[in-house]
Amino acid sequence: MNQEINQSLFLLGSSHQVADLAARERISLPPDSIDEFYNGLGKIEGLDEYLLLNTCNRTEIYGAAQKSFSFDSLGKYLSNFRKLDPDFLSQHSYQRNDHEVVDHLFKVTSGIDSQMVGETEILGQVKKAYEDACKRKAAGKMLNRLFQKGFQAAKWARTNTGISRGQVNLGNVLCELARRIFGKVSNCRLLVVGAGEVAESTIEAFKSRGSQAITVTGRTFEWCPLCRNKPAELAEKFGGFELSFEQFKESMHLFDVILTSTASGKALVNYGDIKKSMKKRPSQPLFLIDASVPRNIEEKVSQIENVFLYNMDDVSTIANENLKSRISEVDRCKGALARRALKLWEQMTQTREIS
Amino acid sequence: MNFNDARDLMWIAGGLYGSAFLLGFLKTFRLSWSPLNEAPLAGIIIGFLLHTRALYLRGLEIHGCPLGNTLERIQFILWSLILTFLILRLLWRLDLLGSFCAGLSFGAGWLTLILPNTDPMYWLAPDYQKLFSNPWVELHASIAIFSYGVFSLLAIVSGMYLIQRKALLSRKFDKLGSFLPPINDLEVACWRLLSVGVIFLTISILVGGMHWTRHPEFVSSIKLAVTILLWLGYSVVFFLHLTSRIYGSKFAKITIILFLLAIGSLALVNSKNREDTKQEIIPEKSSDLSL
Repeated sequence: MNQEINQSLFLLGSSHQVADLAARERISLPPDSIDEFYNGLGKIEGLDEYLLLNTCNRTEIYGAAQKSFSFDSLGKYLSNFRKLDPDFLSQHSYQRNDHEVVDHLFKVTSGIDSQMVGETEILGQVKKAYEDACKRKAAGKMLNRLFQKGFQAAKWARTNTGISRGQVNLGNVLCELARRIFGKVSNCRLLVVGAGEVAESTIEAFKSRGSQAITVTGRTFEWCPLCRNKPAELAEKFGGFELSFEQFKESMHLFDVILTSTASGKALVNYGDIKKSMKKRPSQPLFLIDASVPRNIEEKVSQIENVFLYNMDDVSTIANENLKSRISEVDRCKGALARRALKLWEQMTQTREIS
Repeated sequence: MNFNDARDLMWIAGGLYGSAFLLGFLKTFRLSWSPLNEAPLAGIIIGFLLHTRALYLRGLEIHGCPLGNTLERIQFILWSLILTFLILRLLWRLDLLGSFCAGLSFGAGWLTLILPNTDPMYWLAPDYQKLFSNPWVELHASIAIFSYGVFSLLAIVSGMYLIQRKALLSRKFDKLGSFLPPINDLEVACWRLLSVGVIFLTISILVGGMHWTRHPEFVSSIKLAVTILLWLGYSVVFFLHLTSRIYGSKFAKITIILFLLAIGSLALVNSKNREDTKQEIIPEKSSDLSL
């Protein structure tokens, strides 16, 4: 039986490669709208399989579709869903087909396409997105194979190349910044607002450098006791303290480093809040890290004396500066992954033809 | 090269500071060559020893603390700067601060040696009397000049603070910024240096004031005004920082401006010159050339 299935791979996405932080904030999907978005995807003509990868730095829709599928319908759906001008979306997004999709996914899972090249958090995020798509029965044979191979490619890249060496981890970069501001990281008092992976990675890095005064707060604290990464659990895990979300603004002056990493979608900390805190600690610096997209801290606060505000783009830039010395390693990895991607695509097309 | 000549020794000391400055920056930018590791500090220490001998020899020539002309005053300030750095170096390992201090000592030291008219040989004048007729005035002058050395170090640390701040605000890990001490430590160091400088300047003014009350004719009104204004300037900044009203970049910028004013006013804080005072007072008392 040599029946050709008219199915191909596609990808529509936006990431730091084509969109700045403000554009990514507009395209990124709020966590509470994911269900609705998946429901809508299922109604697009010709779309057999689909998977949404929605992180703070990228929003990508992977899929397997029949010939009747068109990118325009998907683009139109996304722009309508996020209330975006279609031209704006096309300017800040990219499309990939077949072999290009494989190549792109390999780069994503191995961290080569990340803002902080070689970072490892993305692999966990892709795995989570894949599990989510499987639970929703949105991922089928083609995407299953693609993503399984993507995870293998990531493992290969990290084992066989030097792309993950050095300080590209967000937490380590933040510790280095804290050292440049305060000296000993162990003396820094850290407040984490939110309890995601970024928060955990940061706490881990501070803890490993001897920091004892770690406090966690978050919006999900009271009403979501079963949340996997809720602040109380995180505080307990690292021997830190919990702080009620309602009280954290009044206590900000007690902390040297404040990290916000929530999906609140709005500014939690504004200029007035920081100005008020700094009045209580005028000559002591305050290091603010906004790891959220959309941002949780008003950009204007960086104008206040002794306040050093960094967002994800800034931290990534620093991490990538660290990586300059091993660009050749990244190039080697890219070449090897491209060959693996091509091989996989050839296998997939052969299997299709045989089946 | 005569090792018993003060100027020759100042040239060598300046050269050593210059080498320390150059090697310090080569080391900072990771030119990995192991002999470089301690070379900058060694250069500063040897330069300082030769510098000390140069000032000592000049002191023997003039029979007092060598503060009689622009070259001597600048050299004494630079010597105080390096001395303060070496004391601080015992407490903190601040190699880059040493490079900045060595750079300033090299530049300013050689400039005063190159420029004409900065080193008139006033002690060779036939009617030369001892530079400081009164030991209290000599103490006043040397402490004041030492406080200038501390203030010059304060200006350097403030400059380092501003470089580090700029690097942090630009959100880039530039090479120089990553080798500077943490910004919080730099502000603390600035505060301590300001405190030490203000204390020394206050003692100097108190000592000088006691002399002034007895012999006001030796102190010109310009010198009096400039000295008081400078002391007031540093004291006001001291109290404003103490009460957290000036801090961070403003504090750093003001200390740099005050230092530039202090250096700029050096020529004005000379006591009435010898010819003037000779006409006014008895010759034996006419030799105060302090700050």
